Amino acid sequence: MKLKNDESADVRSDVATQVIGLFFVAIIVLAFTTNPVQTGTKEGQRAPALEGMAYNGSGWSEFSMDDWIDPFWTPGNASGEWLVVEFMDTDCPFCIESAVMLGQYANYFQKLDPAPGQEDAWDGPMVNFLASATELNIEGHETSRSEIMAFRDLTSGETCNGRDCGSREGGSHSFTYIDDIDQDNMKKWGIAGTPTYFIIQPDGIVSWVSSENQGEELQNAIYRILTESE
Amino acid sequence: MDANLILLVYIIPMAFGTFLMTPLSNSFGSDTTNKRSTMHIPRRRLMAGLTLVCLVSFAVSAHTLWITWKISEGAAFCTSTTVFSCDDVLGNSDFNTDPFFGMSWGLIGMFVFGFLLFMSRCVMIEPDSVWSERYLKFGTYITLGGIAVIALLVSYEIQMEKICQYCTTAHAGNIVALFGFWKAGRMHEMGTWNDDVQPKSEAKE
Repeated sequence: MKLKNDESADVRSDVATQVIGLFFVAIIVLAFTTNPVQTGTKEGQRAPALEGMAYNGSGWSEFSMDDWIDPFWTPGNASGEWLVVEFMDTDCPFCIESAVMLGQYANYFQKLDPAPGQEDAWDGPMVNFLASATELNIEGHETSRSEIMAFRDLTSGETCNGRDCGSREGGSHSFTYIDDIDQDNMKKWGIAGTPTYFIIQPDGIVSWVSSENQGEELQNAIYRILTESE
Repeated sequence: MDANLILLVYIIPMAFGTFLMTPLSNSFGSDTTNKRSTMHIPRRRLMAGLTLVCLVSFAVSAHTLWITWKISEGAAFCTSTTVFSCDDVLGNSDFNTDPFFGMSWGLIGMFVFGFLLFMSRCVMIEPDSVWSERYLKFGTYITLGGIAVIALLVSYEIQMEKICQYCTTAHAGNIVALFGFWKAGRMHEMGTWNDDVQPKSEAKE
């Protein structure tokens, strides 16, 4: 029996081999010359953008977390400034409860005041605090920029979880609050509940997430991570 | 090295490939000193140009993927305060992946141009095969679909008020490839698909 020889099939398989080979060579070159970091909110990933109008105590202005990131930071460089990002709701009872300690530790790690019970000031790298204030889709959680200002500054006239915002325990906060009433940042960061805390390295990589470390308090995590990074 | 200078490595061969696909190159084949050259045949020139454009577009897509991955490390490649800043475009995690599978646009470009390269090279080698006309139609449809993707990506650039020059080169590659596949298909239909390949020295005898 005479075998048929399909020459055109040979051309296609030869060319396919060449193109697939080219593809794999390109991928191998990419793999050896880059070390990509995925964007996300898991530890080790690059934090997504955090943007919006922000209130720092004197007024509302455009905010972008990118301005606080140093992409060329290397571990061990003590001059890099770390970030703690809190996702909160001014009507969330847990957020109101944690606002006391958060304010004290923000002052301590931002080198404004010693921590409660400690006389010495923090001598580690600067840790900046940020709060992204959202409005959870729960009845009674309606909020506004005035409410965010009242929550931060501890001023009267707005209601936080059924009480006057000025009556919450603790002092006024020294850090910036971002307006996330439209939940843009919250969705981008995949926040399931408030409060959720993130510790971000100076180069923008997520170092610690409260939801992945249920047994560890924020301040202990800051101590541990910043000590390890030195 | 400046990112825009590196881009010339892609633009120059793409421009040459485009030139081969146009009537401007008619004198090119006859002027060449190589007597065994077959570039005087329009179909040969067209398919050579198309294959070159697909290859360059594949390479520039791979480069955009490389830039995307480099930026994710925190590095900068072509950051600029001007409107031309591929770092701002490729580094924007809201727009640098496709909305369905989250795949980097550069990787999608590599797949698409790799497939177009396969088809154009197959047709270039075996122009008279039974599948060549089908491949030319596939190529036309795929690059036509690419126009919709380009429109989406350009809308992203408008939102960001930034232009990624590497992405734009890949977009141009798709448009030129569309022209090439369409023109080759037309030649096939119009009967100007000259399969009788003869070296120039023999053709003159």
